[in-house]
Amino acid sequence: MNHHSGRALPQRRRRPLLVTTAAAFALVMAATACGGDSGSDDGVVELRFSWWGADDRHATMQEVIEVFEEQNPDIRIAGDYTDWGSYWDRLATSTAANDAPDILMQEERYLREYGQRGALADLSEFGDHLDLSALDPLVAETGELEGQTFGIPTGVNAYAVLADPQAFEEAGVEMPDDTTWTWDDYVEIANEISEATDGELVGVQSMAYNESGFQIFARQHGENLYAEDGTLAFSAETMTSWFEITSALLEGGGQPSAAESVEIEAGGPDQSVLSTNQGAMAHFWTNQLGGISESSGRDIELLRYPGETENERTGMYLKPAMFYSVSANSEHPEEAARFVDFMLNNEAAAELTLSDLGLPSNVDMREHILDDLPPADERSAAFLEEITGDIVDGNPPPPIGAGEVVEITKRTSDALGFGDLTPEEAAEQFMNEVSEATGSS
Amino acid sequence: MTTLLHGKSRTADDSGTGAKPPRAPRKAAASRGGNRRYENLAALGFLGPWFLGLVLITAGPLMASLYFSFTDYNLIGDHQWVGLENYERMLSDSRLHSALRVTFVYVFVSVPLQLAMALALAMVLDRGLRGLALYRSVYYLPSLLGGSVAVAILWRQVFGADGLINQVLAFFGIQGEGWVSHPDYALGTLIVLNVWTFGAPMVIFLAGLRQIPAMYYEAAAVDGANPVRRFWHITVPMLTPIIFFNLVLQIINAFQTFTQAFIVSGGTGGPSDSTLFFTLYLYQRGFGAFDMGYASAMAWLLLMIIGGFTAVNFLASKYWVFYGD
Repeated sequence: MNHHSGRALPQRRRRPLLVTTAAAFALVMAATACGGDSGSDDGVVELRFSWWGADDRHATMQEVIEVFEEQNPDIRIAGDYTDWGSYWDRLATSTAANDAPDILMQEERYLREYGQRGALADLSEFGDHLDLSALDPLVAETGELEGQTFGIPTGVNAYAVLADPQAFEEAGVEMPDDTTWTWDDYVEIANEISEATDGELVGVQSMAYNESGFQIFARQHGENLYAEDGTLAFSAETMTSWFEITSALLEGGGQPSAAESVEIEAGGPDQSVLSTNQGAMAHFWTNQLGGISESSGRDIELLRYPGETENERTGMYLKPAMFYSVSANSEHPEEAARFVDFMLNNEAAAELTLSDLGLPSNVDMREHILDDLPPADERSAAFLEEITGDIVDGNPPPPIGAGEVVEITKRTSDALGFGDLTPEEAAEQFMNEVSEATGSS
Repeated sequence: MTTLLHGKSRTADDSGTGAKPPRAPRKAAASRGGNRRYENLAALGFLGPWFLGLVLITAGPLMASLYFSFTDYNLIGDHQWVGLENYERMLSDSRLHSALRVTFVYVFVSVPLQLAMALALAMVLDRGLRGLALYRSVYYLPSLLGGSVAVAILWRQVFGADGLINQVLAFFGIQGEGWVSHPDYALGTLIVLNVWTFGAPMVIFLAGLRQIPAMYYEAAAVDGANPVRRFWHITVPMLTPIIFFNLVLQIINAFQTFTQAFIVSGGTGGPSDSTLFFTLYLYQRGFGAFDMGYASAMAWLLLMIIGGFTAVNFLASKYWVFYGD
């Protein structure tokens, strides 16, 4: 104990200093604790803009932001991006922390969830700053909920089969005629490719990881994924036959093993079997053609979904690719709206994004870029035009909770792939979990 | 014998009681008034930031989560009191049950393995190798890195289908699995990751081994006890307080594992929920499904589980932990 009293004496003499130090320390702590958000004094408004995507989109978006900042010196945009999987985790966390980005990308399955909970601004209120007059009427109102506009569609998209003609050639298998091919053809072709190349190339990447494909399948059978009231609009039989296709491919070797699929799916579009030149077909959205073509270094083609002429009706549909939304908590909603306006109506922005956010929903911009699209984007534009005439109708907006279905689909597919569930059980589990997530059980 | 545990509490006592005595003589000796106030001010100044942190960052959210666990809070909008509904839902939530199963397997397999590894390495290092300090640091390193995102990503690569492990196996003509992407093995890779971070308990074991008086061993050796007997009859009993300390800490840690599972499974807990740790599922409910009320209730369930285990540990310790004096 002696050493304590020994030290106490000199300490006492320095006590004023001690108090000052302590006070200074406390001050520094407090200052650093609150020093996060500093509005700049030079009259420049800083906004954060969040999007998801693969590498090529990140590069494009940075360019778009540069052009915007040049034309709008009073606004600075900080890009904040990640891949699709982490995007929703991050958005949920930052929204909960009242730190949502000012401008953000939304998607059909999440838009209403966020809108209904008051996290998104009503974009119909910005009249002068945000011109919506040139929007394609087909999708113009897809971001509305109970009279409020929570999202402006970026562009139009269709879910399709992407095919690599070079892979088909290497396997010595002929490309199918996509106006007539059936689901049996699809399975046969995929299995044949894997077999012909001795597993070097895989026929098709698993289609079971995205419910958008099933939606087409259900529509082909006169059903749908969700009804207008948000309940499930398909039968267990339809879903069972959908999963049976995947089982047939797993058995026949036409698609990667379950373990491989888990890894491929985790890698996103950049790691798809097409991007890595390890397969012949994969299911993606038309706006992903550009990115996947680029990473594969090949001229990937778009095919209509199998079975379009086989069943009751066609199942393919157009979908608003993504939405621009503004956070309800943004301190500068007007500036944010100006940026959305720029993305939507500015020619330079359209020239940079091309069809990466879907074929532009602004019909003038669509017209403007149509003539000088790079080959891949041109193919997706032509494809959309080609299928539009055969599309029967649109889809009702997905119910709140549909975002959770993304994970449910993944889980069910894993269980099916690893043989834990039969197609029948997988259908049952999927239906139970989705009904619960969307509150229709 | 002074064990680390005792050593710890003893120093804590020292500073606790030690803070007072100097004050008494000072008060008597001090002629200037207000010294005490100055001192208190200083103490408050230094304590302030910590106390603020405790209230704002720990206690506040803790209480908030307890409150939210009885509501249907969804992160963004309003919330309503729902009583015990969240807790009732847990009874029929099959994913919660599978998350509990995964977490228990993880805790019960990885903690004993990790401690055994740590003790074994500590005993090797205790033999007075040359360059001991270096080895100690090298083995300790994984402990610092183990919970990090970078290592989890590395793990993913090493155990991936085209990863290091499979390349080595391929060299011997064995076709390996995608370890992290197969439900039968994914949890195993995470257990291996946890065992690999044996450094922290190892350093503590090493300190404990150093405290065992050499004379016990000498006496036993004279009586003809072989190394195995010496291990079981001297080392282990003398180390029990340290083993107990490590056990409690590592169990608590293991229950709260999140980062590794989140990164390795890409946040899904997949494949087939085989790496769906309790905390990961909690995160999914809270931030994926906006079910924050339920997630809060889950957090309190975890707290109760960990509290229960720690209590049982302490109760059981009476029967096997030997404190020497």
